[in-house]
Amino acid sequence: MKRWRPLFLALVVVAILAAIWSYVMITTPPQKTLDQKVQDVASQLKCPVCQDESVADSPSLIAQQMRTVIRQKLQSGQSEQQVISYFVSRYGQQILWSPPWQGFSMLAYLIPFGLFTGGCVLLFFILRDWSASGRSADASLSNSKAEDHETDMDDEADLAVLRQQLEEELAADDPIFAPHYTQKQQMEAG
Amino acid sequence: MHFSDLGVIAIVLALGFAVYTIIVAVLGALRGIPALVASARRGVLVVAALLILASFALVASFLVHDFGVRYVAEQSSLSMPWYYTAAAFYGGQEGSLLYWALMLSVFSSIFVFTSRRAPAVLVPYVLATLMGIEVFFLFMLATVSSPFVRVPNPPADGVGLNPLLMDPGMLVHPPMLLMGYMSFSVPFAIAVAAMLSGRLDNEWLRTIRRWMLASWTIQSTGLLLGAWWAYHVLGWGGYWSWDPVENAALLPWFTATAFLHSSMVQERRGMLKVWNLCLVMATFALSIFGTFEVRSGIISSVHSFAYSDIGGYFFAFLVIVIVFSTVLFVFRLPKLHPEQEFDSVVSREGIFLFNNLLLVGIAFATLWGTIFPLISAALSKQTMSVGAPFYDHVDGPLFALLILAMGVGPLLAWRRTSMHALWRNIGVPAFVAAICAAILPLAGVRDIWANVGFAVCAFTAGAILYEIWRGMRVRHKHGEPYAVAFYQLIQRYRQRYGGYIVHLGLVCLAVGIIGSQFFQTQDNAVLNVGQSMSVLGYQFTYLGNVDAVNPGTETITAQLQVWRDGQLLGYLYPGRTYYQNFDNQPASIIPIPTFGLTDVYIILYNWQGATSATIHIFVNPLTPLVWYGGALMVFGGIVCWWPDRRRKPVTRINQRVGIGQREGDHKRSPVEQEATI
Repeated sequence: MKRWRPLFLALVVVAILAAIWSYVMITTPPQKTLDQKVQDVASQLKCPVCQDESVADSPSLIAQQMRTVIRQKLQSGQSEQQVISYFVSRYGQQILWSPPWQGFSMLAYLIPFGLFTGGCVLLFFILRDWSASGRSADASLSNSKAEDHETDMDDEADLAVLRQQLEEELAADDPIFAPHYTQKQQMEAG
Repeated sequence: MHFSDLGVIAIVLALGFAVYTIIVAVLGALRGIPALVASARRGVLVVAALLILASFALVASFLVHDFGVRYVAEQSSLSMPWYYTAAAFYGGQEGSLLYWALMLSVFSSIFVFTSRRAPAVLVPYVLATLMGIEVFFLFMLATVSSPFVRVPNPPADGVGLNPLLMDPGMLVHPPMLLMGYMSFSVPFAIAVAAMLSGRLDNEWLRTIRRWMLASWTIQSTGLLLGAWWAYHVLGWGGYWSWDPVENAALLPWFTATAFLHSSMVQERRGMLKVWNLCLVMATFALSIFGTFEVRSGIISSVHSFAYSDIGGYFFAFLVIVIVFSTVLFVFRLPKLHPEQEFDSVVSREGIFLFNNLLLVGIAFATLWGTIFPLISAALSKQTMSVGAPFYDHVDGPLFALLILAMGVGPLLAWRRTSMHALWRNIGVPAFVAAICAAILPLAGVRDIWANVGFAVCAFTAGAILYEIWRGMRVRHKHGEPYAVAFYQLIQRYRQRYGGYIVHLGLVCLAVGIIGSQFFQTQDNAVLNVGQSMSVLGYQFTYLGNVDAVNPGTETITAQLQVWRDGQLLGYLYPGRTYYQNFDNQPASIIPIPTFGLTDVYIILYNWQGATSATIHIFVNPLTPLVWYGGALMVFGGIVCWWPDRRRKPVTRINQRVGIGQREGDHKRSPVEQEATI
């Protein structure tokens, strides 16, 4: 039971946080102003005459005009997605400032994501492999799970003894460790 | 006799000496003749001296306005102030190649002077590799890309530097960034030398780490200066636009950072040798790729003034570098066994591996986004642009994970950590993060992702500060005042606490990025004299335009007052400067006053006569933290790098905690002691 206490504590904290956040979100639902919407749409479009600038950032005349068009269309009740598709229909795909989530350009997102996930899995297996081989060297090839667990506990006990020895020696060597060590002892005793 | 003739002679001679050095160094190493190696050392110094001479010749040609030299006529004009004229040295492609070659030879010389510390077997191979790279640059300078080419009919005046480059940033950013790119060749040379000589021990690792740390610090400074310059010059209210060229400079930085972390695992545990070599080689290859990308112009970018036709040569060089190091690597692979086994997933090694995965993942995603337009055009015949939103979505979450890992890392011990110790250590930072996550939404931060970002930053800052605090407390108990304890802690365990300073700087920078990313507010308006506009509580009153005509330039400036809560905070003068030779490229003058932690960023878009102007205003909360955090990172890098008079061996933690070998152990901090076991 004592072992799970931190976990419960963490759950309680998460619950409180979730409560606060949902309270805030419910009382004041995030409502975008027209300015923010214009900004959002404009930052997803590439300024057609500039080098690598979005419509939101570019000071060029055409970008200013496009921002005005965006504002008018949003004011007339169109959704952000509709405004973007309007510009795509007029200028083609290259007006989009990042690859759209469709067709071939999905690869832009999928490949880094896939590789990263693959990397995580690979890393997990490598680590498991390494630690397994490390442990089997230690435990001279124990097969059953129960034994594995036992040797783990052995290791822990071993480590605790070694750690105490080391701290004692350190304390004898260098006074800076002495109070630290005694404090620890008290803690463990209590 | 012109200065340019002197430069040509110096470059040809340097090429000869560089080739000589390679031959002598390799012969000396193979046959074991010390005299030949000594000659190679001197050869490197001669190359450096000749390149200093060539650079001097080019700067002199600029300063005497020798427009008979084509490069001088293209890059400078009579009306430019002398410091920009001198800086035009690296303003174009030929000069920046010369600058690169010069820096490479200077760094090689520094290596020669400090090589007493490096393992002696390695030195000749390092010199040969460095000079091999140098030969490529000198060959380019001597043949296809010479800055000293003369024209038969010199013009009366030169074209002058691109207006975007006429900025104080020009004096610091390009030299720093080019130096950073170049400096990755020293660790690469040390890695190649290790593979050639088969010597890959801890002494080797210390040498390469020191050089990598220096390169990392230089590259960080270069990137920061670039961001700062973009912020002050380009006029779109931001500092990082994920431009292909910016990305190219960031890529080797990521792999170098990954190396600095994973090499610690090698230092302590003797593992990951293969992986570390890969990272060093990738870092160098990416820095060459960056240069190739800038020069070839295959991807459009704001750095378009650097386009040229020598991309093909760089591509060939890149291929040679990759093939050469891969062959060498495969050849050496059988010799690179790990010395120890891995113990536990929940250990500092484990988190370092995860950190490496994240950094390499970010680097890959960035590279992928940079070259995706090319792939898309080749495979699906679609023109595609990959801009900031892509990187925000793909790299952003990875960055958040990286910062989280940065906080967890110091809490874990080498080898393995018991769950009990982990819970105990994680308590305080988790508490700080929870408080932050509870207060911010109530205080009005509505965006969920901004909240998550701030909570992660709070966690990591909490973890690092708590760690430093624990170290200080132990020392304080021995009668040291806190300030002294803090200083001693950093002074004695520089690598460790320097690293923490870097991490704190990065957290600070991340808070700045979150601030400018989520809370930037902007507005523009056409104002007549006396009219006002207000953005986020700041009020701006327009007073009129001033038009100043100077020889070669014309500057239009608007005058504004900035008010807040009925109080006058100051006067602002945003403007535009038109250069005679670059009529269509006006340079913006952007005042960016900082009030507390908020930047106000004002651009003059347009104007009509003296009484009307279109003003665009950004209010960027927390953006100054980007610069403070960046400066802290560079400072931390220097602390880590700073030479230590007392050479203390780092003890390996062996299979069974090494009681017998703790000579070096008791010098480390108690906190670390505790974590180690």
